[in-house]
Amino acid sequence: MLTYTIKRFFEMVIVFFLFLVISYLLFNAIPGNAFSSLLLNPLLPPEAYQKTIEAFGLDKPLLERLQLYIVNFFKGDFGYSYTYYPRTPIDLISERLPRTLMLFSIVNIVAFYTGFLVGKILAWRRGSKSETWITIGSVFSYTVFYPWFALMMLWFFGYKLDWFPLGKFLVPEKWYDSPYSSDEVFYTLILFTTVLSFLLFLVFIITRGIESIHNRRNARLFGLVVLLFISAIYWTNGEAELKRFYAADIAYHMILPTFTVTLVAFAGTALLTRTTMMEVLKDDYILTARAKGLSQKRVRDRHAARTALLPVVTSFIFTIITIIDGSVLTESIFSWPGMGQLILEAVVQEDIPLAMATFSFIGVLALIAHFIADISYAFLDPRIRIKSES
Amino acid sequence: MENQELENGLKAKFKKNWRLFKQSKLGMTGLTIVIFFGFLAILQPLLFLTNIWDEGTYHPVVGYDSEQISRTVVECPDEYPTEKYNTKEDCPRVDEVNIRYLKAFGIDAEVGDSYLSNVQPAPPSSRHLLGTDSLGRDIFSQLMEGSQVAFLLGLISAIIGVGISTLLGTAAAFYGGKLDTYLMRQSDLVLMLPSLPFLFIISAFAELKVWHLAVVLGTLGGLGGSVITIKSQALQVKVKPFVDSARITGGSKRRIMFSHILPNVAPLALLYMVFSVTGAIASESVLSFLGLLNIDMSWGIMIYLSQTEGFIFTGLKYWWLIIPAGLAVTLLAGGFYLVGRGLDDVFNPRLRRR
Repeated sequence: MLTYTIKRFFEMVIVFFLFLVISYLLFNAIPGNAFSSLLLNPLLPPEAYQKTIEAFGLDKPLLERLQLYIVNFFKGDFGYSYTYYPRTPIDLISERLPRTLMLFSIVNIVAFYTGFLVGKILAWRRGSKSETWITIGSVFSYTVFYPWFALMMLWFFGYKLDWFPLGKFLVPEKWYDSPYSSDEVFYTLILFTTVLSFLLFLVFIITRGIESIHNRRNARLFGLVVLLFISAIYWTNGEAELKRFYAADIAYHMILPTFTVTLVAFAGTALLTRTTMMEVLKDDYILTARAKGLSQKRVRDRHAARTALLPVVTSFIFTIITIIDGSVLTESIFSWPGMGQLILEAVVQEDIPLAMATFSFIGVLALIAHFIADISYAFLDPRIRIKSES
Repeated sequence: MENQELENGLKAKFKKNWRLFKQSKLGMTGLTIVIFFGFLAILQPLLFLTNIWDEGTYHPVVGYDSEQISRTVVECPDEYPTEKYNTKEDCPRVDEVNIRYLKAFGIDAEVGDSYLSNVQPAPPSSRHLLGTDSLGRDIFSQLMEGSQVAFLLGLISAIIGVGISTLLGTAAAFYGGKLDTYLMRQSDLVLMLPSLPFLFIISAFAELKVWHLAVVLGTLGGLGGSVITIKSQALQVKVKPFVDSARITGGSKRRIMFSHILPNVAPLALLYMVFSVTGAIASESVLSFLGLLNIDMSWGIMIYLSQTEGFIFTGLKYWWLIIPAGLAVTLLAGGFYLVGRGLDDVFNPRLRRR
């Protein structure tokens, strides 16, 4: 396992350097001078102008510039953003990245879990009427034109029913006399969600060993209630009580984007699980399990679903990257100030340093997701480990 | 003689596969949808050529038609909800006009009169099946233009993508070694490339036309994940006895690769081609929705216009501006996806019911 991890890690490092080089060359290939908008920008004082030229080595040949860019990437130095002048790209990214990560890690986890659940049931009920309808629904949400769908959701839930706010991160009126900055509150929220989901995961892991399905469900329900109780205590005591009002405001703005993306993202997993489950159900060992007299649910959950999980995990690698991609759309439609919105803004306004920085960071994010998924895949499927070690 | 036998064999195979495909309901539904949009795409130039449609009126980009519509004059109440209207946005309805509005322009009318005027966007009528947009252009014609764009883009990018990935995948499986390692790392790199931001950046400095985008999408798709899948399929074919016998009888490497391995990988490649059309159509619509493509008209632009002009939040009052374009993207992408599913049932025996 360790050798595999190390091998993958080195491969990833090479891929990462290639990515950096390609992304630099891409920006370099912009006709004329990629930085020419710098000359026309009246917001930039001469020092910033000088600094940008030095940071990117604009007076040097290509190879040296490339070298400088890679060194600067690790130093986190991208010069200044043109549109947000005194701020640096890294500063902007460190503000925006947590928001994107929070939104999309929740979506990823929920979509993967529900997708797997739905796909499992679809394959099991093959031929029934409910299967046809759910399949049609999943195909619709898999292929639906996402911006259109998001706008319709926004119209229906945000405007017509008026249940949720029309995009944005918070309601400014509520924050006028706030003792905390929105980032501070948001970090608390992130910490809380991380701890809560970790505990939830622990509950699932611990109860996995319980043999009787009925007992297991009860144990999980009990764990959930306990966790809810603990979080209620957390939010009514100490500093968290003061932050509660503001945290609720942010959380309220998160509901509709999360729901919309989940609705679109779960379908891919569900459809794939359905296919792999159907393949697995043809296998002999399923017949054996049935012949042994095991209950239907047991055959489905313990024997078929576990084998069917593997290809789904592989596809999950791809899904993560598509979801990062999709963040651009989600964020621009719901006005969620995250990475996706930042890159769109930077590209449209030709803010080259910012566009470079965000593009590289999204790439790194995708790379890390890819790496984690690869490792967990090898962990789940021993065949891959053994093949790579021999 | 031999040729004819081969032909007969192919025909029989095709017939068998078609029979299998027909059994899958989803696949047939998808095929119907695709054929329907293909029909729409072909119909528009025909209508222009035969002069049934006048280009000045029906052209999707520069056409204009002012339609006289008679609307009832009503007086909008001050307080809502009333019996007739729920919210402020409901009054006046599409076929009504507010009397205060007329008075502001100094037009004499009374409540209950019918008032004849030009309206844009005009609701669906026998002249314009799906109404017109706010510039008086025919929505149905725009829809047809959009399906031309979608087909052009989807097919070009799918053919390029599948060509590249089949060639590279089989080469990686057949030659192995360094070439294999290189190609696999390369597809890793392409896979991790965030494709939408990447396309944004390209569109920031290059004037992207439809076929440029098709080439870019095809290349990206062809170098990405499909190489890995096709390679694994080719690896399975490579160890089959007939490849060995071809080698023993003295077939050159190139011949074995092109006439023995490639045909056996082709079904999977076809499957990939159909699935990649879905992605290409979605990417095009997204880019033109964000206004980053240099084309006149497409489904994405139709939605972009209805959003920027503020019709999206009027709900269903101006449904012909919002629903057709979005539904068309969804349906065509879904149609290709379903065809792919049907083909999957044909080529992958393990998925069949019995």
